[in-house]
Amino acid sequence: MSEVRLQIQHLSKTFGITKAVQDVSFTINKGEIHALIGENGSGKSTLTNMLTGIYSIDSGHFILDGKEIHPKNQVAANDEGVSIIVQELGTLSGLTVAENIFLGHEDRFVHMGIKNTNAMNREAQKLLDDYGFGRIKAGDMVDDYNFEDRKLVEIVKATYFKPKIVVVDETTTALSQEGREELYKVMKRIRGEGGTIIFISHDLEEVLRLSDTITILRDGVYIDTVAASQVSEEDLKRLMVGREVTGNYYRADYGEAVSKEVVLSVKDVTVPGQIEHVSFDLHKGEILGFGGLSESGMHEVGKACFGASFDRTGSVTLADGTPINSIPAAISHSIAYTSKDRDNESVVMNQSIGDNICLPSLDALRSVGCFLSGKKMKNFANKYAKEMSVKMVNTDQFVSDLSGGNKQKVVLARWIGKDSDILVLDSPTRGIDIKVKQDIYQLMDQMRKEGKSIIMISEELMELIGMCDRILIMKDGKISGELERNQDLDENSLIEKMV
Amino acid sequence: MAEKSIAKTASREEELKKVSRAMLMRQLLPAVGLVAVFIVFNILTKGRMVSKFSLVMSQVYVTMIASTGVFFIMTMGGLDFSQGSILGMASIVVCMVSKVSIPLSILAGIGTGAAIGAMNGFFYVNRKIKSFIVTICTMFLFRGIIKYMTSNSPVMGDIKLTMLGMNETLKMICTLVVIVLGLLAFRFTKFGIHLKAIGAGEKAAKYAGIRTDRMKFLVYVLAGAITGFAAFINAIKVGSVTASGGNQLETQILIALVLGGMPISGGAKSSFLNVIIGSLLYTVLISGLNMMGLTTQAMQLVQGVVFLIFVTVFADRQSLQVIK
Repeated sequence: MSEVRLQIQHLSKTFGITKAVQDVSFTINKGEIHALIGENGSGKSTLTNMLTGIYSIDSGHFILDGKEIHPKNQVAANDEGVSIIVQELGTLSGLTVAENIFLGHEDRFVHMGIKNTNAMNREAQKLLDDYGFGRIKAGDMVDDYNFEDRKLVEIVKATYFKPKIVVVDETTTALSQEGREELYKVMKRIRGEGGTIIFISHDLEEVLRLSDTITILRDGVYIDTVAASQVSEEDLKRLMVGREVTGNYYRADYGEAVSKEVVLSVKDVTVPGQIEHVSFDLHKGEILGFGGLSESGMHEVGKACFGASFDRTGSVTLADGTPINSIPAAISHSIAYTSKDRDNESVVMNQSIGDNICLPSLDALRSVGCFLSGKKMKNFANKYAKEMSVKMVNTDQFVSDLSGGNKQKVVLARWIGKDSDILVLDSPTRGIDIKVKQDIYQLMDQMRKEGKSIIMISEELMELIGMCDRILIMKDGKISGELERNQDLDENSLIEKMV
Repeated sequence: MAEKSIAKTASREEELKKVSRAMLMRQLLPAVGLVAVFIVFNILTKGRMVSKFSLVMSQVYVTMIASTGVFFIMTMGGLDFSQGSILGMASIVVCMVSKVSIPLSILAGIGTGAAIGAMNGFFYVNRKIKSFIVTICTMFLFRGIIKYMTSNSPVMGDIKLTMLGMNETLKMICTLVVIVLGLLAFRFTKFGIHLKAIGAGEKAAKYAGIRTDRMKFLVYVLAGAITGFAAFINAIKVGSVTASGGNQLETQILIALVLGGMPISGGAKSSFLNVIIGSLLYTVLISGLNMMGLTTQAMQLVQGVVFLIFVTVFADRQSLQVIK
């Protein structure tokens, strides 16, 4: 039995009415890579953010090597022996590599109020060389390096002081294969030296290969801790979702012919710096998927279909040739759009649920002349909020109070109320828990059967495979491949075309 | 388990009730404040405020009319500091044109205000400069022009114009018309909901089909036009325009709206009552201090303190960053 490093006791955290982490307790040992997995919104990042002092703790304790810690910020966490490598860019522009590495610990190089830059650079360079990243020069501005190298700088920054615990939060998704290998090496070395890694990743195959122990969270609740050697990928999925992930989670049909009737035609659309010469047709009753890396331009395709692209050339037209060049034109021709950036582009945060649902349909909710009918608005909002089963007190509640899944339901209620025939859904299930996800998939299937057409843009390949009649893969702003709905389709066949 | 969830819902409802009570407090405070301030000043001035009520009311018209336009601007998250200069400039035009025809002078005043509003809107929307920077620039620009035009002598209105100034009912009717139209448009048409949506989340409003840029531009034009109309009331009241004509109207409006409970960052919590109660409260407060014989300097000090207190109470800290 190995020694205990970190005890997590009855930890809880709420954001407004959302319970992000609920009474979670488990232990993490010395000298292990401990994976933390769960669906989006299951509380993994919230938990590690509390450990590293990014969020405050609502209730519960972290006991590190027998002593309770409650760091106030990341530097304090470092002093306790806890550090984190995050998914996004964690280096600061405008500082040198060395300054980034020793950020918050500059005092080591300050004598009588003067910073000894040379000593700092020498020390940083030695560390970089030790890690095998000698091509990065400590005295250079961090801006001179690309994303990948800056990530390596972060790895050095988070690990050079031999912390007791290093949190690796979805870092691998941001790295190329070589970068990942470097990170794996560092992780294994820390484990060899008796340190502990908390590893958060969505890639279950990677999790199984690297980690010793795996803890599963679901909807902020602790589910189980298992030894990696004794479970399969299927077991993990089942634990994450809470039941067998088969049957009608996605739509079940295969081989149904899609109508030949074109409802939206995109021809030779270019948005400078985003997409180049994109052309495709959307058919009646079709779910057309767009997959690719986040920067592949697929999100811009969605905006272009909704008339929301700035500086667009080429044409987006309906079946009868009506051009769609602005958002009001798109809406009045029954096109709906949900953005990946839900809080800024989909819901009006500081406004009521009712107003949010009614916004595009106000013209239909008049009583006399240009005057609106308060009663009609209320009924309309209630009807569609109920239809989407939005969890709320009443429609006067502000959208900012709602969880991500409920916000998405409000947006969908808005467009169902508008009776849109063409829906452009950009990352419709991003950051949404599994139950709402299933609701959304069922809704999409139902709409498809009603003859509505859907463009689904997603970074989650499994949902594209599960839901779409046809998948277009984007790479560097161009369509790089097309796949038909097929039972044998797997993620690898999509990834091949993405990178 | 079931008990637990019931307990949870109960505490949740409790929480919401508390929130809505706080909201109600915030809504009621200005109205209660208005009554309280009115009573306090009556006691302090030994009933003089009631006896000279029509005089107090005559101070309210210009502020109330001009507040209506600025209220629309603030609801969508903007600010306008050029209102005083718009009033001064439009008053000069009204006085000059009144020598030709009175009805024409009203239209000319509105046109002048709308033109300056359009200039604000152009730089704010098309050139993407923050509204308070743009309007501070136009404030100085037109104040300069006003000073230039009044450097030799004040611009005098026609005698017919001054005669109209005797007619309190006319001023009151003009104010009522603006207030009623503003209230109807804001509460009962999509104009109000669109404005609130822009204030509460402009990008999302755009993606819900609102032509946000056009709306923002037109609201600045509208606010200018409304203040241009207020210039007519101002002109018949004072009869002539000096270099300081309309001076500090923008601060008066801002204080009035905030006193009325307007969140400084606008958005969905804006209510048209803010205009009515706010401008009344401001006028009562100022007239009261005046009757008590406070000096101008002391009044500015009191205004500053009151403004600071109300901004602190009504600031919607969640959405403060959206001031455009």
